[in-house]
Amino acid sequence: MEKEAILELRNIRKVFDKNVALDSVSFSLYPGEIHGLLGGNGAGKTTLMNVLYGLYRRDDGDINFHGQKLNIQGPKDAITHGIGMVHQHFLQIGSYTVLENIVLGTDVSHPVTMKLSAEAQKIIDLGNRFRLPVDPNAVVDTLPVGTRQKVEILKALYRGVEVLILDEPTTNLTPQEVDDLFESLRVIVNEGLSIVFITHKLREVLHVCDRITVLREGRNITSLTRAEASEEIFVRAMVGDQMKIEGSVYFSHGSMANTAVDESATPALEMHDVGLKTKEGISRLAGLNFQIRQGELFGVAGVAGNGQRELAECVTGVVIPTEGKILMKGQDVTDVPVCELLKDWISYIPEDRLHDGFLPKANVAQNLILGYHRQEPYCEGSFIKWDTVYDKVRGYIGEYKIKTNGPEDPGGNLSGGNIQRVMIARAFSMNSHLMVAHNPTRGLDIPSMDFVYNKMLERKETGASTLLISEDLDELLLICDRIAVLYRGQIVGILARKDFDKYVIGRLMSGIQAEETADLRAAS
Amino acid sequence: MDSLVTFLRLTLLSMVPFVLAAQGTMLGGRTGVFNVAQEGIMLVGASLGFIGSYLAGGSTLVGIAAAVLVGGIFGLALAYFTTTLKMNQFVIGLSLLFIGTGLSTLIPKLVIGVTLSQPLIPTLQDLPIPLLSQIPFLGTVLFSHNILVYFAIVLSIGLWYFLFRTQLGLELRSVGENPNAADSLGINTSKHRYVTAILGGMLIGLAGAYLPMVYTGTFTEGMVKGRGWLTIALTFFAGWSPLPVLYGSLFFAGIEVASYRFQAGGIAIPYQYLLMVPYLATILVMMFTFRKTRVPGFLGNNYDREKRSL
Amino acid sequence: MTIVRKLVPYVIAIIASFAAAGIFIALTGANVFQAYETILFTSFRTPNGFVQTLLKFIPLTLQALAFTIPLTAGKFNMGGEGQMIVGAIAASVVGILGADLPAVILLPLVVLAGVAAGAIWGFIPAWLLYKFNINEILTSMLLNFVSFQIIDLVATGSLRDPVAGHPTTVQIGQGGFLPMLIKNPPLNAGLILALLVAAGVYLYTTRTTGGYELVATGANPRAAAVFGINVKRMFVFSIVLAGAIAGLSGVIEVAGVQHRLIVGLQHNFLVLGVIIALISRGNNLAVPFVAFFIAILEIGASAMQRTMNVPIEMVFIVEALVLLFVLLSDVFRRR
Repeated sequence: MEKEAILELRNIRKVFDKNVALDSVSFSLYPGEIHGLLGGNGAGKTTLMNVLYGLYRRDDGDINFHGQKLNIQGPKDAITHGIGMVHQHFLQIGSYTVLENIVLGTDVSHPVTMKLSAEAQKIIDLGNRFRLPVDPNAVVDTLPVGTRQKVEILKALYRGVEVLILDEPTTNLTPQEVDDLFESLRVIVNEGLSIVFITHKLREVLHVCDRITVLREGRNITSLTRAEASEEIFVRAMVGDQMKIEGSVYFSHGSMANTAVDESATPALEMHDVGLKTKEGISRLAGLNFQIRQGELFGVAGVAGNGQRELAECVTGVVIPTEGKILMKGQDVTDVPVCELLKDWISYIPEDRLHDGFLPKANVAQNLILGYHRQEPYCEGSFIKWDTVYDKVRGYIGEYKIKTNGPEDPGGNLSGGNIQRVMIARAFSMNSHLMVAHNPTRGLDIPSMDFVYNKMLERKETGASTLLISEDLDELLLICDRIAVLYRGQIVGILARKDFDKYVIGRLMSGIQAEETADLRAAS
Repeated sequence: MDSLVTFLRLTLLSMVPFVLAAQGTMLGGRTGVFNVAQEGIMLVGASLGFIGSYLAGGSTLVGIAAAVLVGGIFGLALAYFTTTLKMNQFVIGLSLLFIGTGLSTLIPKLVIGVTLSQPLIPTLQDLPIPLLSQIPFLGTVLFSHNILVYFAIVLSIGLWYFLFRTQLGLELRSVGENPNAADSLGINTSKHRYVTAILGGMLIGLAGAYLPMVYTGTFTEGMVKGRGWLTIALTFFAGWSPLPVLYGSLFFAGIEVASYRFQAGGIAIPYQYLLMVPYLATILVMMFTFRKTRVPGFLGNNYDREKRSL
Repeated sequence: MTIVRKLVPYVIAIIASFAAAGIFIALTGANVFQAYETILFTSFRTPNGFVQTLLKFIPLTLQALAFTIPLTAGKFNMGGEGQMIVGAIAASVVGILGADLPAVILLPLVVLAGVAAGAIWGFIPAWLLYKFNINEILTSMLLNFVSFQIIDLVATGSLRDPVAGHPTTVQIGQGGFLPMLIKNPPLNAGLILALLVAAGVYLYTTRTTGGYELVATGANPRAAAVFGINVKRMFVFSIVLAGAIAGLSGVIEVAGVQHRLIVGLQHNFLVLGVIIALISRGNNLAVPFVAFFIAILEIGASAMQRTMNVPIEMVFIVEALVLLFVLLSDVFRRR
């Protein structure tokens, strides 16, 4: 590499309260490259790029751009210098049109009449050039995730950026959409731009990136070109020395032996024509028919927003389905509410931990007994036995490695990963026939993900079942016995482990009920 | 016919405090600042409007300036505590409400002292618009009012155009919908919140000053009589939009005028029942409209750039 | 040690607000230190002053609890005033109509009627919230204005005391009087009721499963609902309970203090109750202590107005400033 780096970050340090998120991290970007920023959750990838984009103030370190020291105080400075960022959670105004979202914050040609035809044309041209077609007049709320991502990228291109940062851009895309995205990225760098690609997925990095930097626990570990790269080096760099890679589920590529499932026993869960309609009559789930056997790890794949949450909530009794029947071990539990099901029947890790699972204003102990507070051993009559609760909770804090000052620590003090550990500890703390886990490893570092996978696999040995709903297809392929694909509230296919194929599932996820899928199933 | 003309004329006249206060509330809400101190700010606006005019020898202009100024200070305080210090908007709003209520009676006592009968200030003059006010019926109903009636109407239309037809309006609304998005595009969210909160406070203060300057000519304790709270309800069912706020204010004013007219009309029901009507009507309207209205996505929340999304 | 550290911001807040008010008091030309002395020590100079303070303490504590209980569930009851008024109305109507009944029957009836009326007045916003999802802050507040008209209606209607200049009803039956703890200066048994309610509320919210559910609902209603807590029912329950407690404060004003219904009996109790609740940061254990402090200030304020001609609102501003400074201390602790 004789080329000169256009962008250099030197010894960046960032501290949140007392947690060091970035400890003297350096990073350089060459013109025309796609640079992968790899690491597990909590490694500091997003934090580093937020510092570059001006969203976080750095506590120390320099940013050099084209050989000049930049003083970035906010996103405005970053944009002015030609740095754009696409966040993992799209930063869009749902009620605005695509056009309004893209021109927002720029000077338009007619600021007091808002006649925006010139701007709309520019967006259409950009879309054609970079293979990112969008309708400028569509309202963003009505668009699917894949299109909304195109809008985000166009937002940056519209501002004429030189450096484009993409934070976990493949989350929520089907494998096909991922391929399309990668193609667009190539077009973009061929036009002379540079891209920083943040991801925790090793395979994506190897697939698309020219150079790769690995972060772990807020430090840089290594920077290599793709030619120098081997998978082992990166794996070791991502997880450090403390984790045993050989025994891990995460790096096993799904090759671990799956114990057989007892097919003769009464199914743990039976769904008979289950459907859910909103009060307005909009169908959220329709005609769901499937069984989960005892000891089975049953996966549900799909692009977010296709009924996953509704499915989880119907099974757990949070909402009562409007049609059909749900049986657990042969018993009709369709109308049984969640507070009853939490007694032995189910345990639940909700998807949106902050909204659906956690009490930020309550302490750790209060969080860990949520839902079980009317059960032994936590209560006696109408009174809660706080001594027992605190004893138990101290145990969970140790076992699940929750970083906290103790049972009375306010929940709001916990980091995202530790909140997720609370969710997991709570779900595993009581026996259940069926665990419903929705994106259970979101926000966890690799060793913790591995811990969760092992815990789930352990359940199989006791004959307990798990319904794993995940937007991470790799995770499902890794540990599930079967995978069902959810599309617009319907199951469009169920595949057994021997038939797992990323692209087949991807087609189902995008609603293409291709003939070949049927053929494939017929053939097997 | 005459009574209809009078009714409509009075409705337009009584619409003003609702329009001003609700537009002020709406404006702050559009950047996410939810003001609940209307009752207090209106009271202190009424009090200072009266005192200002009284001290300046009956100058309406000084009174209005005093009310607008104090309203702006309350708006600034709300913006500072919520946007800069990121304190709970409702709790801060309540604190300001209490302080405003206290100041409204304290200041006249300090300035004028405790007297049996409060002095009077001159009320606002009607300003008939030449030619237009000559039109039969409409001339009386629409075009022979005090200047604040015209101002309220022009303000509503102007705010609508500004918010929905200009680049600045688009940016301003984006702060109230999703400040993360606005901030990531280099829009100064704090500035927008400060400006709208202060302007909103000014309008609410002015709304309070209208009461002594048009209705009574003097300040009496608690004279806002819940109009500040009604304003919040009004802003909600107007969907935080300027033009529906204007129509909604007409409705509120109509109820208010009707209940007073009935009272004066000597109908044989105790007046207390009539005085309940505005509050009960508001609750009733809320039952049918509250669920359908849209509110700015970030209303009542504070934005902290460095707060990590967990 | 931790208690001391927790008290520090309060002490600073009080000193700062007194300093701020001192400037205003000086502007009126009064002696600032004499004013401070009057505000702080009037309650302790005479037995009467102390009893007056306790009589303020009762409704203030109950009003504050009527705010903290829904606050625990994350809801704001701004209707304590109206609930107090209807409680007082019901108590006096029952007390007047049943004036001939013996105390064993009349007194429980008076208390029950008032508590029930307050609960019903609280149930209206709760039901509107439950059924139509209407913001309870607005509805409970608007109902206060309705209650002002109702009390006016009752006190000027057929039960009116024609001799009184101010709208007032005739006296309730002797059997409806709350027993006296001390005859002179008169202190009624409402004090014991208020303390019992405060203790009960504290035990309920910290020790019981129901209280846990209330706390969880307030901490995150969505998560609480996902894990099987009927949060809408908790909302309704908390506001109705608050209404009942506010109603009780109305009963005590009628049956314990005035023995009749007087327009304006609600004074400024709602606002002060909210201030007490917020200074306590919603902590039910702290409420009685803060309420006692505010009661001292209120009694001192009246004395100051009487003897020094300094307007009573001055102390109200002090109270609001104490609240603001206490809230501010949170911000500085965060940094």
